[in-house]
Amino acid sequence: MQTLRGTKLAIFIGLLPALIIYLGIAIVPIGLSLYYSFMDWNGIGAMDFVGLKNFTRILSDDIFWLSVKNNVIIMVTGLVGQIPLGLLLALLLNRGLKGSGFFRTVGFMPVVISSVMVSLIWGMIYNTEYGMLNNLLGMFGLESWQQNWLGDSRLSMLSISVAYIWQNCGLYMVIFLAALQNIPDEVNEAAELDGATGFKRTFRITIPMIRSTMMVGVVYSISNSFRVFDLIQILTGGGPAHQTEVMTIHMYNSAFMNMRYGYGSAVSILILLFSLVVITLVNRLGREKDA
Amino acid sequence: MSKRNSTKKAVLIGLIAVLTLFTAACGNNKAASNSKTGGSGEEETITLNMMHPWTSPNVDNDVYKARIAEFEKQHPNIVIKQDGVPSAQYKTKLRTLAAANNLSDINVVWPGADLAPLVAGSLVEPINHMMENWTSILPETALSGFNVDGQQYAIPTKQNFVDIIYYNKEMFAQVGYDQFPETYDQFIDAVTKLKAAGITPISLGNKEQWPLQSSYISIIGDRFTGSDFLPAVLEGKAKFTDPEFVKALGVIDELSKLDAFNTDANNMDSVQGQDYFIQGKAAMHISSATVDGRVRINNEEGDKFGIALFPSVEGGKGDPKKSAGVLQYGIAIKSGLDEKKKQAAEEFLKFFVNEDLYKELIRNGVVVPAKVEIPEDASPYLKEMLALTGNGTSPVFDSLIPTQVVDVLQNGLQALMMDHTTPEKLAADVQEALDNMN
Repeated sequence: MQTLRGTKLAIFIGLLPALIIYLGIAIVPIGLSLYYSFMDWNGIGAMDFVGLKNFTRILSDDIFWLSVKNNVIIMVTGLVGQIPLGLLLALLLNRGLKGSGFFRTVGFMPVVISSVMVSLIWGMIYNTEYGMLNNLLGMFGLESWQQNWLGDSRLSMLSISVAYIWQNCGLYMVIFLAALQNIPDEVNEAAELDGATGFKRTFRITIPMIRSTMMVGVVYSISNSFRVFDLIQILTGGGPAHQTEVMTIHMYNSAFMNMRYGYGSAVSILILLFSLVVITLVNRLGREKDA
Repeated sequence: MSKRNSTKKAVLIGLIAVLTLFTAACGNNKAASNSKTGGSGEEETITLNMMHPWTSPNVDNDVYKARIAEFEKQHPNIVIKQDGVPSAQYKTKLRTLAAANNLSDINVVWPGADLAPLVAGSLVEPINHMMENWTSILPETALSGFNVDGQQYAIPTKQNFVDIIYYNKEMFAQVGYDQFPETYDQFIDAVTKLKAAGITPISLGNKEQWPLQSSYISIIGDRFTGSDFLPAVLEGKAKFTDPEFVKALGVIDELSKLDAFNTDANNMDSVQGQDYFIQGKAAMHISSATVDGRVRINNEEGDKFGIALFPSVEGGKGDPKKSAGVLQYGIAIKSGLDEKKKQAAEEFLKFFVNEDLYKELIRNGVVVPAKVEIPEDASPYLKEMLALTGNGTSPVFDSLIPTQVVDVLQNGLQALMMDHTTPEKLAADVQEALDNMN
């Protein structure tokens, strides 16, 4: 018993440096944000305590709810885009195609290159006058399909979603691929003996076998969608006229562009609450299904 | 026994890790304090941090950088550590650093509404005691934007006019205009004819949102309301919902309903907007006088472009000869520097902003706020610019109006272009934002 306690102490001491850093850059700032969110503060002058006024203002602000809606769009399109696409790619690569190593690298590439580059690339693709997409449509005589992809409020969020899915689905591909390769050969062989091949094997055997990994993917995809910032900031800056603003961009614009640090902090607290609520819900649903 | 040993080891390693962390931190502190107070030897070098927005390839930016290099050459014991931030992000970074009380030693600041919070937070140092360096060359008007309650906080390096209409003479001739239209009705007529001729009338890059506000509303507003309007609004004696200002917003509405702008105006940045115009893809571009460097002065085909101001409007209270001008790039020193750094920074300020700088800028075609002689060999384009902008200056919207309110206007102008709002509704939103501030 005594030795065990000693080990715990040792573990604690070993963790201490990391813990201090983590407290400093994660926990303390969240606490400070909470504190600022009750203040009216322009970042430089004196702070005024205003209670919950920032929150009531946010919740009655149409622009905030627009940004929530856009976050939901990113979340849903991310889920229905990234997870199936990542799974499909993983299944294809798992069949031992020729050059699967090459395709794995290509598929994972967008995850590795910086968001700034991804945004610039997609900005060029979507450009109205000389963009690749409109040029391509023009080449096939589909001029009537040419659009102002990022400027038209009916299309802009979907255009962004496509870029977002492209950027991230490689990550899910790799996660799922690793899970697929962990399925024991015996299982597959047994399935084959029982006559489960093709789609049947995929849906009845393979996917259930990697269910827990897929749940991780779902949770990660959701939490990731609340953090999306750089891609949109560079593609559109949240514009035109707030149409592509997500909560993080709303927070950034309020705090850093308009010097409403109290309001911005309150938005960040809400982002935290929203993602906690959604992820708890998803976890609960996942567990119920397991049971 | 062996368990015990491994426990001990773990504890030791943990301790070492913690110690390393602390010594590393201490080491940093020591190094920092060394450079501040260390030694009274003559060899001592002083490092000054300077943040500036001079990253784009504009002519004046090169002049500023050459000036910094010259200063370092003449003062081998002072090092200017530059932090160049692209101008679209510069103000944001300045505000963020100000909020963290972490400004650079020397900063480039904007006058009026942008300077006010820095002064209110006592983040910049008054420089009244060294004003004799500039009083002979800088007129009162050039300094007043950086003067708050009798204290001078910065010295401007250039005078910018934000509302210059660059136009393609050939395209205008093609639709029957040998001169730039003088009235708003003619202007709209020209836009309609250009559009009918298959030419994009105006190229606009409004992704960063300031162009429609700064280059358009500043002057269009002034034409309708006159120059006393914005100060009156700030004092509560006038409102953005007054019919004159609503009419000014209506101009943007009318132009966008006429499809006067390129379709992707709100997705292009300002430089791309200039490129469209310079490449001959549009007949007009409205931007600052600085852009003349790209459009005409350093462009072999520059003579096919002309410059003009926004035409007069019917029943407008403003003087149609006025141009919207603002003093730019005030150089300010951070407050609370230690004596040595402060001296070095003042030395830099004296050297950087002097007659030579203004002369060099003028030689490169940049308008300056100082009373210096225009060199004989100055570009004829500059002389034309000076003649165009020399008939009175009206205020630039965002130099007077607080950022939060400007933001509402800027987003509203984009919404107006997308037909998501009306001039009346937008005017009410802007007024509401101003009312909410107090």
